[in-house]
Amino acid sequence: MTSIRRTATVLRAFWQLNWLEELQYRGNFIASLLGTVFWLLMAILTAALYFRHTSRLGGWEFWDVVVLLGIFNALAGVVEAVLRPGIGHLPADVRSGALDLVLVRPVDAQFYVSFRRLDVWRFADVVLGLALAGYAFVQTGRPIGAWELITFVVTFAVAIAVVYAIWVALMSLAFWFVAVENMAALFDALFEAARNPVSAYPGALRFLFVYLIPIAWTTTIPASALTGRLRPALALWALAVGIAAIGASRLLWRVALKRYTSAGG
Amino acid sequence: MPSAIVTTELSKTYDVKVRDPGIKGALAALARPRYRQVHAVDSVTFAIERGEAVAFLGPNGAGKTTTLKMLTGLLFPSSGRAQVAGCDPWTGGNAFRQRIAFVLGNKQQLLWDLPPEETFRLNRAIYGVSAADYRERRAELVELLVLGDLVDKPARQLSLGERMKCELAAALLHQPEVLFLDEPTLGLDLEAQQTIRTFLGEYRQRHDATVLLTSHYMADVTALASRVLIINRGRLLFDGELSELVARIAPIKRIELVLSEPVPRARLESYGRVAHFAPPSATIEVPRETATAASARLLADLAVADLSIQDPPIEEVIRIAFGEGAQDEEDNATAEMLVRADVRRAPP
Amino acid sequence: MSSGTTRGAVAAFRDQYAELMRSAFLIDLQYRASIAIWLIWGVTEPIISLGIWWSIAAAGAVDGFTREAFAQYFFGVALVNQATLSWDAWNIDRWIREGEMNYRLTRPIAPIHEAIADNVAYKGPTATIILSAWIIAAAFWPAVRIPFEPVHWALAIVAIVLAAAIRFLNGYATGLLAFWTTRATALVELQFGISLFLSGRIAPLSLLPPRVAEVAGYLWFPYVLSFPVQVLTGTITTTGQYVRGFAGQVIWLAIWLMLYLLVWSRGRRHYGAVGG
Repeated sequence: MTSIRRTATVLRAFWQLNWLEELQYRGNFIASLLGTVFWLLMAILTAALYFRHTSRLGGWEFWDVVVLLGIFNALAGVVEAVLRPGIGHLPADVRSGALDLVLVRPVDAQFYVSFRRLDVWRFADVVLGLALAGYAFVQTGRPIGAWELITFVVTFAVAIAVVYAIWVALMSLAFWFVAVENMAALFDALFEAARNPVSAYPGALRFLFVYLIPIAWTTTIPASALTGRLRPALALWALAVGIAAIGASRLLWRVALKRYTSAGG
Repeated sequence: MPSAIVTTELSKTYDVKVRDPGIKGALAALARPRYRQVHAVDSVTFAIERGEAVAFLGPNGAGKTTTLKMLTGLLFPSSGRAQVAGCDPWTGGNAFRQRIAFVLGNKQQLLWDLPPEETFRLNRAIYGVSAADYRERRAELVELLVLGDLVDKPARQLSLGERMKCELAAALLHQPEVLFLDEPTLGLDLEAQQTIRTFLGEYRQRHDATVLLTSHYMADVTALASRVLIINRGRLLFDGELSELVARIAPIKRIELVLSEPVPRARLESYGRVAHFAPPSATIEVPRETATAASARLLADLAVADLSIQDPPIEEVIRIAFGEGAQDEEDNATAEMLVRADVRRAPP
Repeated sequence: MSSGTTRGAVAAFRDQYAELMRSAFLIDLQYRASIAIWLIWGVTEPIISLGIWWSIAAAGAVDGFTREAFAQYFFGVALVNQATLSWDAWNIDRWIREGEMNYRLTRPIAPIHEAIADNVAYKGPTATIILSAWIIAAAFWPAVRIPFEPVHWALAIVAIVLAAAIRFLNGYATGLLAFWTTRATALVELQFGISLFLSGRIAPLSLLPPRVAEVAGYLWFPYVLSFPVQVLTGTITTTGQYVRGFAGQVIWLAIWLMLYLLVWSRGRRHYGAVGG
C-alpha cells in the first residue's frame, strides 16, 4: 500500500472509530450544540453592543463583523473537533507514557497524535459557523464573485494551518515543561483576540496580533477575503504564511521528538 | 460495654429502570417506565463487639460496599437500623465522624502532589488531635508500618503499596474506635499485603480498635480476622468463626495446570475432581491435606509446563457452602451495572 | 480536644482552616507554572475588551466614558475578576463522578470549608500579583491611575470580598446540583455567559440598553463585578450609591448562602438515598 493510501485508510479508521465511541453519548451532541448556539448568540450580542456606540469597528460594519464571527466559530469548531482532542492531548500522553505506545507504531507519529482522537460532534460547530458567515454575508449586500470565494477558501485553509501550527508549538513545549497541564489555556486566551477584526485594535495590540502572535491571519484575513477587502498582495502573503506554518509545525515536532527520544522520555 | 457495631434488619433497596434493548425499548421506557427492585442489602443483622476484627466477604456486587456505606453514614437505609460507636451513622454528625475512619482500597485520600506528612498535618487539624497525642501516635504508626522516609516523598512518587501504608497511617492519627476498610489489599503485591495484615493485627491489639474490612481475598480473612460475615445478593449467609466456615465447606485446594502435551480428561480425573478443562490448561480439586502429594504425582507423571496451588475463590466457597450457582453471580453483576447506570430515588 | 467549650471549638475551627489553607497553598506552589498561564488567560479578556472600547472612544467619550475611564474600568475588571473566580463546580462534579466525594463526607468537617480555604489560598496571592502589575503599569501609564485614599481602598476591599463570597456561594451551590445531574457545570457556564453582559464584564453597565441594565439590577450580577469595580475606580460618588451597592451585596450574599444550605441538605439526602 502506498503511503498516501495508507494515510487515507488510517484516517478513515480514526473517523469511524471516533464516531463509534461518540455515538454512545448522544446526549453530548445536544448539549454541545446548545452550548455552541448559546456562545454564538453571546458573541453576536457583544458585537451588537459595540455597534450601539459606533457605526464602524476598525472600518468594518456590523454584518461584516458577524461574518468574521461566523468564521471564528467555524475555526473554533475545527479546534474543538480535531486540535484539542488530538495534539492538545500531547502533554498528558507525554506524562503518562502513552506517547511511547504511539512511537512504536508504523505510522507517522505527528499524524497519529493529531488525528487519533476527534470530537466528532463539534464538526457541527464548523457547519454552524460557516452558515452564520454565509447568512451574514448575504445581509451585507456585497457582491460575490469567484475571486472572493477562491481567496476565502484558500485563506480559510491557511487559517487552519496557522492555528494548527500554533497548537503544535504550544504543545511541543510539553516536552520541556512536563509539569504544565494547561498549555491549551494559552491558546484560548490568545484566540479570544480573533473575535474582532484586527483593525479594531489600537496600534500596539494590532502590531502584536499581526507580526508576533499571528492571530490576525486566522479570522481577519478570511473574513476580509469574503467581504472583498483583501488586496491581492495580501492574499499571496497569506498563502506564504500558510505554507510556512505547515513547515514550521513539522520542524517543531521533529525537534521536540528528538529531545523526547534522546532524553529517555 | 455496648457493641461497637450493631445492625438490625438493615436493608437498602433501589428502584432500577428496566429497559428492553434497542430503539423500541428506549422509546417504550420513555412512555411507560418500568421498574424493578434491587435488594442491594437485604435484612442484614449482626453485632460486632469492641476490639473485634471482622471480615466481610462476598463476590463483587454482593452488597459489602453498600453495607459499609450505610455504616459510615454515606447512605441511609431503606429500612432497618444501625448503630456504630454508639451513634446513628446518618444523624450522628461530626461527633460520629470523629470516632470512625473509612479507608478505601482504590480511592486515595492522600494529597497527591504533597508528601504524606502534609496529609498527616491536615488530618491532625481536621480531627483536632493534640500536639502530644499527634507526636506519640505518629511515631507509633511510622514504626509499625515501617514508613521511614516515605512520608517525605510526594504521594504520586510512591508505589501502590507504600501509598496504602501511608493512607492507613493518615486514617489512624485520630485513633478512631471503628475502622472501616474497603478492599484494603486490592491490587497490592504480596509483601505489601502481608505488611498491612500484620499491622492491622498489631494495631488492633494495642488500641482495642474495631476493624471491619471487606474483601474478596480469602487470605485477608485467614491473616486478620477470626470472624467472618459472608454476604451474597444482599443477604447475610454466614456469621461465625472462620474455622466453622472451613469445617462447613469441603476443605479443598485447587491445582491449576498448564500441560505441554495433550492429556485426556479421563486421565486427569484419576487425580481428583476436574473443575475446569480447556487444554492446555486444567484445574483439579483435591482435598487440602493431599494437595502437595497430588501435585508431586502430577509433576512426575505428566508433561506439566506450569503448576500452581490455589485456594478456591470466594465465589466457589459460597457455591460449595451454600449451593448457590454461578448464574447468580452474573445476575449480581448485572444488577450492579443497572444500579450504577440508572438509579431512581429509593423509597425512604 | 476540648469539644465542650465554645472557645475550644473556635480554636479548633481556626486550626482546621489554617491547615487547609496551608495544604492548598503548598499544592498551588507546585502548580505555579500552570497558575501563571491561568493568570494570563484571566487578563486577556479584559485587555481585549479595553482594546475595542479604546478604539471606539477614539472619536470622543462614549456615554461619558473617556478612554482613560475605560482603561481604569477594565484594569479594575481584571483585578476583581481574579478575586472572584469560581471553579468549584468542576471539582464537585469530578469528585462525585469519581467517588472522591465519599471520604470528604466522612470527615468531621463539611466539604465547603476545604473549598473556601482553597479559594483564599489561590486568590490572595494571584490578586496581589495583578494588583502589583497594575501599580507598575500605573507608573508608566497615567491613564490607569486611580485615586488612592485609605477609606476608599478599605471600602473597595470590603466590596471585593463580598463579591467573591457571593460568586463563590453561587458557583458552589450550582455545582452541588451535580448530586442530581451531570450538567451542573453547564449551568455554571450558562450563568457565566449571561454574566458577561449583566455583570459588566464586556462593557460598563451604563453602556447596555437600559432595559437590560434594569434586568441586571434585579439579579446578583452587578454586585459581583460592576459595583466593586466602580468602588475601586472611584466612580461611585454619592453615599446613596454606596448604601444601595453594599445593601445589594449583603442581600444577595444572604440569598446565596440560604440557597447553598438548601441545596446542600437536599443534595446530601439525595446522595444518601441513591449513592454515587
